[in-house]
Amino acid sequence: MSRFSQQYRDTFNWYTPGKVLVVVLALPALLIPTMVLCYIFWQAAPVLDWGFLFGTADGIGFGMTEGIFSQLVGSLLLATMACLIATPFALGTALYYRTFATPWQQRLLSAMFNMLQGIPPIVFGLCGLVVLVNLFAWGVSLLSGAVVLAVVVLPLLVLNTLTTLERIPKEYSEAGSALGLTQGAIILRLWLPRSWLQLLTGLLLAMARALSETAPIMFTATVFSGVVWPDSIFSPVTTLQTHIFYLAQEGNDPLLTSIAWGSAAVLVLLVAFFALLARLLQKSGGH
Amino acid sequence: MILRWWLSTSALLSSLTIVLVLGFLLQSSWPLIQQQGIAFIVGDEWYPFESLYGMLPALVGTVWAVVLALLIALPCGVAAAIFCAELLPAQLRGPMRFSMELMAGVPSVVYGLLGMWVLLPLLESQLDLLTGRTLLAAGLLLALMILPTIMVLSEDAIRAVRQSQREAAKSLGIGWDATLWRVLLPQAWPGIRVATLLATGRAMGETVAVMLVVGSIDRIPDPFYNFLQPAQTLTSRIGREMAEASIGSLHWAALLFCGLLLAAIAMGLSLLTQRKGAAA
Repeated sequence: MSRFSQQYRDTFNWYTPGKVLVVVLALPALLIPTMVLCYIFWQAAPVLDWGFLFGTADGIGFGMTEGIFSQLVGSLLLATMACLIATPFALGTALYYRTFATPWQQRLLSAMFNMLQGIPPIVFGLCGLVVLVNLFAWGVSLLSGAVVLAVVVLPLLVLNTLTTLERIPKEYSEAGSALGLTQGAIILRLWLPRSWLQLLTGLLLAMARALSETAPIMFTATVFSGVVWPDSIFSPVTTLQTHIFYLAQEGNDPLLTSIAWGSAAVLVLLVAFFALLARLLQKSGGH
Repeated sequence: MILRWWLSTSALLSSLTIVLVLGFLLQSSWPLIQQQGIAFIVGDEWYPFESLYGMLPALVGTVWAVVLALLIALPCGVAAAIFCAELLPAQLRGPMRFSMELMAGVPSVVYGLLGMWVLLPLLESQLDLLTGRTLLAAGLLLALMILPTIMVLSEDAIRAVRQSQREAAKSLGIGWDATLWRVLLPQAWPGIRVATLLATGRAMGETVAVMLVVGSIDRIPDPFYNFLQPAQTLTSRIGREMAEASIGSLHWAALLFCGLLLAAIAMGLSLLTQRKGAAA
């Protein structure tokens, strides 16, 4: 009897030792990230206004002047170019996987992209420095940085496209070929109309990822200051990520500190914006 | 025809990337291997000016930072995942999950700023250290960074356990605790393992944040478990010294070899992940 009631209590009781342990361990994991976000925005609040966003530092005093417009432009340009470069390859690779690849090739491809995804971004930065900046003599430039970032986001895009294509029912493609459609027509008329929303979602997530990377572009694309609009794809840029990085090492000037926090807040907001947009798209396209 | 050409070319090029990356790294670090053999991997002294390129200090530093991060983030992250999957009311789960995904996307340089200006002074004043730049600082910061990854993936794994399993446990009169330990965690374990491996890879490859707080001193902690000392990781070394090394020098080759080492470890980790994924 007592054994039964003990078990009954354990099953329906509100607090058991396990629940207490879980909650105690979980609390820091849930609270600290929230506190971190609040802290960033609290520190950034004094400088966040339109003048800060659209002002340009005029080169005097190395980033001491307020205004991060050029950094904003640089970050967005790099991320956009990276995604534009990576997309055709990612789409082509994923479609190849679904259409022409033999099972052996499929295994090889998926193993390769999982591996590529695991390699730390700084390794690609190093490689970009050796090959693009020095060997190809592109210099520290927008193009070098964009190509390196494209390699960083490539596995993300490929794997996302693959999951999207896998969700298309087999019957669609079978019906298509039974009606005599060519492979090209099946892709263009059946697959793309059905999955473009998910593909766009993947692209937005890739943008968010490219915006949050610092290490790969540190040696390949950015300078500290002095560039507002890059003249060509061969000129270096300034980015929010590296701006924060340099300011973090600068020291204790209050103005500088607030600029750094302000830039951090803007960067977080930018990444969150793309992630949010991706989520909204996914929801609106959900069946 | 054009279609086939486009698809094959892009597949070929994208899969060649990994080969090219590894090839160029090996080719550029070859002079060092040629000159000093491979023994420098376990050398414990790194003095570029005297052509001593021992990799051991940075390797030990990397392992320490990752282990510290996992020790902190794994219990907390899995507990938070259990909390979200099992205890949280259903209508709160969506927002909770989304905020976690957002946290996973916060750029590492922002964590670096936080570590530099909040964590370091805190450590200095609380632990009475000369400098807060220690392995502990790196471990704490990395823990914060991998927490969302562990949480999101573990939560997926726990939610993937069938509802009927929970109901069966309940109908047998098994309590919440026993259900958790004997039913939920064992079944979710493959997923949690993958989450841990992915988090390990992320922590190992993280550069800017670690570089700002780890102290960048090429020395094996003394004694080796002393994580309150400044140290160096593979990534922070690359980040710190890449700009100083002249192209084609041995120093340059040694730094590229660090990159190769990172890539090799990362590929080993991803092989482990995939093997388990196939078996599960």
